Amino acid sequence: MRDDAAWLTGDRPSVTELEDRAFELRSKLLHLCGTYEGAVHIGGDLSAADIFTALFHYGLRVDPHDISNPRRDRFLLSKGHAAVCMYIAMSMRGFFSYEGIVETYGKLDSAYGMHPCKVQLPGVEASTGSLGHGLPLAVGMALSARGRGESHRVVCLLGDGETGEGSVWEAAMAARSNELGNLVAFIDRNRQLMTSFTEERVVFEPYPDKWRAFGWNVVEIDGHDMAALVKAIDELPPADSDRPTVVVCETVKGKGVDFMEHNLAWHAGSLGAADLERAMAALEASREETV
Amino acid sequence: MPVTFTFGEMLSARSVIGSTLAELGETHDNLWVLTPDIGATLVEFREKYPERFLDVGLAEQACVGIAAGLAYDGNIPVVSGMLPFLSMRALEQVRSDVCYPNLPVKIIGTHGGLVGNGGSTHYAVEDLALMCALTNMTVTSIGDPLMVGEVLRQSMTMRGPIYIRLAVGKQDVVLYEPGEHDVRIGKGIVARDGTDATIFTHGTVVAQALQAAEELAADGRSVRVVDVFTLKPIDEDLIAQCADETHGRFVVLEDHLAYGGLATRIADVVADRGIHLTAFERLGIPQVYAGFGDDEELRDKHGYGLGATIAATRRVIAQPSWPSSH
Repeated sequence: MRDDAAWLTGDRPSVTELEDRAFELRSKLLHLCGTYEGAVHIGGDLSAADIFTALFHYGLRVDPHDISNPRRDRFLLSKGHAAVCMYIAMSMRGFFSYEGIVETYGKLDSAYGMHPCKVQLPGVEASTGSLGHGLPLAVGMALSARGRGESHRVVCLLGDGETGEGSVWEAAMAARSNELGNLVAFIDRNRQLMTSFTEERVVFEPYPDKWRAFGWNVVEIDGHDMAALVKAIDELPPADSDRPTVVVCETVKGKGVDFMEHNLAWHAGSLGAADLERAMAALEASREETV
Repeated sequence: MPVTFTFGEMLSARSVIGSTLAELGETHDNLWVLTPDIGATLVEFREKYPERFLDVGLAEQACVGIAAGLAYDGNIPVVSGMLPFLSMRALEQVRSDVCYPNLPVKIIGTHGGLVGNGGSTHYAVEDLALMCALTNMTVTSIGDPLMVGEVLRQSMTMRGPIYIRLAVGKQDVVLYEPGEHDVRIGKGIVARDGTDATIFTHGTVVAQALQAAEELAADGRSVRVVDVFTLKPIDEDLIAQCADETHGRFVVLEDHLAYGGLATRIADVVADRGIHLTAFERLGIPQVYAGFGDDEELRDKHGYGLGATIAATRRVIAQPSWPSSH
């Protein structure tokens, strides 16, 4: 088993390198969206791409060559429809073959489907997809770690929309009640549901205060600011502390591709060859803007 | 609680659960017990293993999801609660979080059937239909209080999930002497042998079926009673054997919807295997919200009480044997 120090510091990339990887992740997502015949949940993939990058390439203590190491951090994708973004982010970390994802995604007998399946793809931690299910699972894993005196973290990525599910708040109460400081939730606060913008039909604000009211340690950041993501990870309370932490990441659905941003039509969709070119050009342009 | 059944002493299934879990907690250091605000009888486990006991309060969905999270990490979680809520409010968690990845979560609870006088919010009457529909789920319904302990013990080595249904579990008739039957998950128990007809049953009304058989014996009728405590996987061979040995005369008695539970499962076996029956009657809860009353009153009112059981059994015995009726 690798010791903690090596695991942590092995090849931790710089913020600039992480930004490059996030760009590569988005490029690969768009490529898949342009070549796969079915719909890809591209809007919520793009809003979470920086969070996935920060977690799989910086924050999570995981080893692609030792996926069942009991000391690994656990990552749960509660917003299961962003599975393909997770697959690609993990492939870039060495878990899976990117070619394998592109060639088989959504096809018969593929391990890579619209929502992650632990049985078919053991590298993921759980079968998820139905919204509001991830946080209770994460609480169970965090309790298990506590029970065994293990020091890893359990990290759960949720979409803001799915926090309309009551089961999320049941789990939030359980996490606080059991003082699970080893549990961290990242919220992809992209302010869009499938068919509406959050504050129009469903009012979520004051959103971070809702988590504060449930007794969580709340961190608010721009979910596309890689330096802020890195800082939030670096400053997480120790896993043996007594409050779960939520990192509310303000994001933009469709981030990086101007015609997809803030656009309800791009919750899920498919790009033809021409649109793929247009999307790639938009992504390049968006990168230059931020440099 | 009015129980007219006279043989066998009374015992609380809940106390058996409590003591069995405390015993299993010692031999299995990965056994967890979770409850949504139910389970005074879990006190012994809670006191011995507080670090592996979790009361989440009124939160069935999170309770089952948390159990799945524990199971993903190599633990054996037992979720104990009231079945109308565990089987319906948490149904999707049971299906997608537990059954889909085939995790060894045990769901054990009370209020299966028209018991407890709580009204229709508090009767689990559809639960077996729902649970039997779930891939990977093993489904049991238990009347004999001592058997609950045995089933829990056996379930410890199961890879996937199990559902264990009880009635109220406060005062249950001891149906079997310990060791009298070979209790094995997936195998039915011939609780009383007979040759004229078979009553298939499960759970709290096994006692009623035995009493019906007893009363019919006074009339010279020889009625077999089979306790099908495992509804899924069902003991197909025993059903076929009973058709052969009791002239294809079947009565199914259950404290569950008459359609969707054991009767439906037996009818499926009969159809799929081409078993020839002489007569088939199902006694169970009709499609109504049953109202209030004690268990026995409700069974009588809704047509599956002791009198109805005896009458149905007489009717199937009176049917001319197949194929002479054709």
